[in-house]
Amino acid sequence: MIEKEESIISEEEAAQYDRQIRLWGLDAQKRLRGSRVLLVGLRGLGAEVAKNLILAGVKGLTLLDHEQVTEESCRAQFLIPVTAQGQNRAQASLERAQYLNPMVEVKADTDRVETKPDKFFLQFEAVCLTGCSRDLMVRVDQLCAQHNIKVFCGDVFGYHGYMFSDLGQEHNYVEEKPKVVKPKTDESNDGPEAKKPKVDPNETTMIKKTASFCSLKVALEVDWTNEKAKSSLKRTPVDYFLLHVLLKFRTDKGRDPHPESFEADATLLRQIRDDVLEAMGLSSELLPHDFVSYCFSEMAPVCAVVGGVLGQEVVKVGCQLPSLSSPIPGLETGTHRQQPPSKHRYPSLHKSCGSCSARGSTTPSLRASDV
Amino acid sequence: MVQLVGSLRKELADSLSACRVLVVGAGGIGCELLKNLVLTGFKNIEVIDLDTIDVSNLNRQFLFQKKHVGKSKAQVAKESVLQFCPTANITAYHDSIMNPEYNVEFFRNFMLVMNALDNRAARNHVNRMCLAADIPLIESGTAGYLGQVTVIKKGLTECYECQPKPTQKTFPGCTIRNTPSEPIHCIVWAKYLFNQLFGEEDADQEVSPDTADPELTWNPADTEARATASDQDGDIKRVSTKDWARSTGYDTVKLFNKDCLSESLFKDDIQYLLTMDKLWKKRKAPLPLDWLEIQKLGKILEVTGTGLKDQQVLGVAGYSQLFSRSVETLRSMLADKGDGAELVWDKDDPPAMDFVTAAANLRMHIFSMNMKSRFDIKSMAGNIIPAIATTNAVIAGLIVLEALKILSGDVEQCRTIFLNKQPNPRKKLLVPCALDPPSANCYVCASKPEVTVKLNVHKTLVLALQDKILKEKFGMVAPDVQIEDGKGTILISSEEGETEANNSKFLSDFGIRHGSRLQVDDFLQDYTLLVNVIHCEDLEKDVEFEVVGDAPDKAPTPPSAQEDKNVANGNKDSAEPSTSSKAPAEQDDVLIVDSDEEEPSSSTMDVRMESGGHKRKLHDAETGEASAKRQRLDQPLAADEEDDDIIALD
Repeated sequence: MIEKEESIISEEEAAQYDRQIRLWGLDAQKRLRGSRVLLVGLRGLGAEVAKNLILAGVKGLTLLDHEQVTEESCRAQFLIPVTAQGQNRAQASLERAQYLNPMVEVKADTDRVETKPDKFFLQFEAVCLTGCSRDLMVRVDQLCAQHNIKVFCGDVFGYHGYMFSDLGQEHNYVEEKPKVVKPKTDESNDGPEAKKPKVDPNETTMIKKTASFCSLKVALEVDWTNEKAKSSLKRTPVDYFLLHVLLKFRTDKGRDPHPESFEADATLLRQIRDDVLEAMGLSSELLPHDFVSYCFSEMAPVCAVVGGVLGQEVVKVGCQLPSLSSPIPGLETGTHRQQPPSKHRYPSLHKSCGSCSARGSTTPSLRASDV
Repeated sequence: MVQLVGSLRKELADSLSACRVLVVGAGGIGCELLKNLVLTGFKNIEVIDLDTIDVSNLNRQFLFQKKHVGKSKAQVAKESVLQFCPTANITAYHDSIMNPEYNVEFFRNFMLVMNALDNRAARNHVNRMCLAADIPLIESGTAGYLGQVTVIKKGLTECYECQPKPTQKTFPGCTIRNTPSEPIHCIVWAKYLFNQLFGEEDADQEVSPDTADPELTWNPADTEARATASDQDGDIKRVSTKDWARSTGYDTVKLFNKDCLSESLFKDDIQYLLTMDKLWKKRKAPLPLDWLEIQKLGKILEVTGTGLKDQQVLGVAGYSQLFSRSVETLRSMLADKGDGAELVWDKDDPPAMDFVTAAANLRMHIFSMNMKSRFDIKSMAGNIIPAIATTNAVIAGLIVLEALKILSGDVEQCRTIFLNKQPNPRKKLLVPCALDPPSANCYVCASKPEVTVKLNVHKTLVLALQDKILKEKFGMVAPDVQIEDGKGTILISSEEGETEANNSKFLSDFGIRHGSRLQVDDFLQDYTLLVNVIHCEDLEKDVEFEVVGDAPDKAPTPPSAQEDKNVANGNKDSAEPSTSSKAPAEQDDVLIVDSDEEEPSSSTMDVRMESGGHKRKLHDAETGEASAKRQRLDQPLAADEEDDDIIALD
């Protein structure tokens, strides 16, 4: 349900948001100010997303996390005070999150996300899931798609990260393009010498576009046994399969791989890799033996990168920003990932945007048309 | 057996805890960077920033809250970080990195230096210090949605100054003074006027009609004659603008209308321009304003609405009232400061901003341009680069990832990484590029750097050589100059007072002529540059010198109201500057702007001047020049590298 946007912007807001209003415009800022977002999971990635959304100036952000603060979570995240051990993670993050921007309504919810009824999610314009199980993400994605609520998912596993967004089957957005103005001969315009056709930024044309997104379920359930899929395998980032492995680990163990149980978890990861790839009809060589070394815990800089891109996507799209740019095309069909290190070389990590191999699947691919 | 500490292998985690790193800048990138560093496990961090916190920082510099406005960025950043990581060992310096205290020895304390700066001068300086100390440097910048990270390692990669960077766009004096055709010309004029009336006077910032305009005559000799003539009778008329204005009591009626010397700005000067009819043969002539007539138009209509107050465009009457009010305010501010006082223009100082808004708009109106809102003028006059938290967050994350490569001993894995606004055709938002080797001709990092400068030895003052050429152009902080004349004559000494007497003499007075060579040293930067002098008598008007081998550009001007410059160039009428219109023209181009922030507020000026020890105009304000660096997508990266670095996307 979209709240009516307040049309007045206060002096305080104008001063604080000045540098971003100069980027995306006043209307966009006002729209942002009308959106409520749900953020699930307050680990490293969650904290980054929370910071980015709060600074941007959404109307409200609900932090949902049932877990407790451990010593590790203090080190992993900059919102939780070191004295907060034993407290609920969302609660513990609340104060510092609120300090980031008093103009945003920040709330903490300590429930388990799995126990939330459907109608809980419907109060938001955008839902952002981190650290969630595959089943939950699929369920929420399907639910929200029906109600035109934008869904974003993301995780960081060691050096790796991904993000996924589902903006619905028919996501309408608008591209603003400056209008080309022919020079007027008798009227003066922006200068006595204006003879060339000038781009007049005060006049823009709005181009309507529609894009279609596939659901997470579809994105994850690509059938790799058919020929078409196999041929696109080469260009599928290995991370896609790594994601499957890690999500399965999470489902089976109820947690992510933990450095304290490195040996056992590493063994389990390799086992899952074998199972998962075999079930897909693929070779387990696809994920090399040492992949386990790089997917434990959450690397802070990776959280920053993924959190930055994810945060910006939520701001751009989920908050009804008229697209100054269209949503990242790759996002529109699926998952985003990071490349795993190959061999023993130190990996460099970059945020990637990409589709899951929608190619070769029956997923509708991006359809963007000028209306 | 792999041992992990968090995500990292133990050896790496251990070396992070032990090493010392320096972060230069605690602003947009700096805040994010400090957070990333401590969360990654760095324990010993030093951070330096000369600036104080402003409310406009709060949308992204998340270590600061409203209650911290006015305080030192470095100091507050440190305190905020300690809140979530009390065991971190952080040293904060509220100071300029260009202070000679931070010498090569200081830099050698660190394993790694990371820049989080917003201006060219400081970047040049840190570049040289890191070369001198042979410490790896990670450079970065952001503007709007775009960002960039790169690594600089002496001998291995290009240094920051290997590639010539486009200099600030400047406008010829006659354009500013006689024939403005774009809003920016009027804004520059208004800033010059501010300085003439209230601030430090500068011969390069004249606002009165330019009778030596080359357009007025075919014959260069005539121009010369006119210039001399006008100087002479200018001496009578052109008492310093400030003194004249003071003598009229800053009466705006006089400023507006009265035939007072040649300084009545909006009518008499315009009428004077009209007499230079050659200028108006092909241009629309300006229309002088009549103050009293304008008053009759009545009160300004205060437009209410849902927009920002600053985004309204008032009418001529409104701006003339704004002009009067701001002149009055500024006049009394100046009087309060006492004799010989000066004001420094500051976009965040409301009367100063009002003044420029009003003066620029009145001039735009005179020259038939659509007037602009205060919001837009502030962008242009103040070189404001739009900025958001997420871009800085991503870039700061990438900086740490590059840092980890360096600390693992894998510097050859480092890359330049561009953050796009949109994914490129290969669907990459983040694009890595191999680092280039040092340029053999670099005037900074080559083994015996040399440059050739064209100037007029009879007309170039020693002071100009020091300030405009060696400091501004060649980025030195404290140059020492010896003439290679067999006697080792010392022309300029960096020690205060030693060669002060030379400043007002011409180069030729010291026997410098065509073919002379100057040895210039900056001992702080451990930098020696050989300057070859070519005597030239026909440089373009307003051009004091040219560096041979540079792309043609005008001599850099002192702080002026340049629009934030990007590759899109020139005239920007939009309230959404630069980046939003800067979609890469071609697929492969990413246009990165040095994240050059605004002109400093007066408070930072003060800090700089204190630490500088002597008065100098540090041009910490920099326009957003574009370093258009092509992504080399066809760079033949080995297949292995591709696996590591490039995210294959469908």
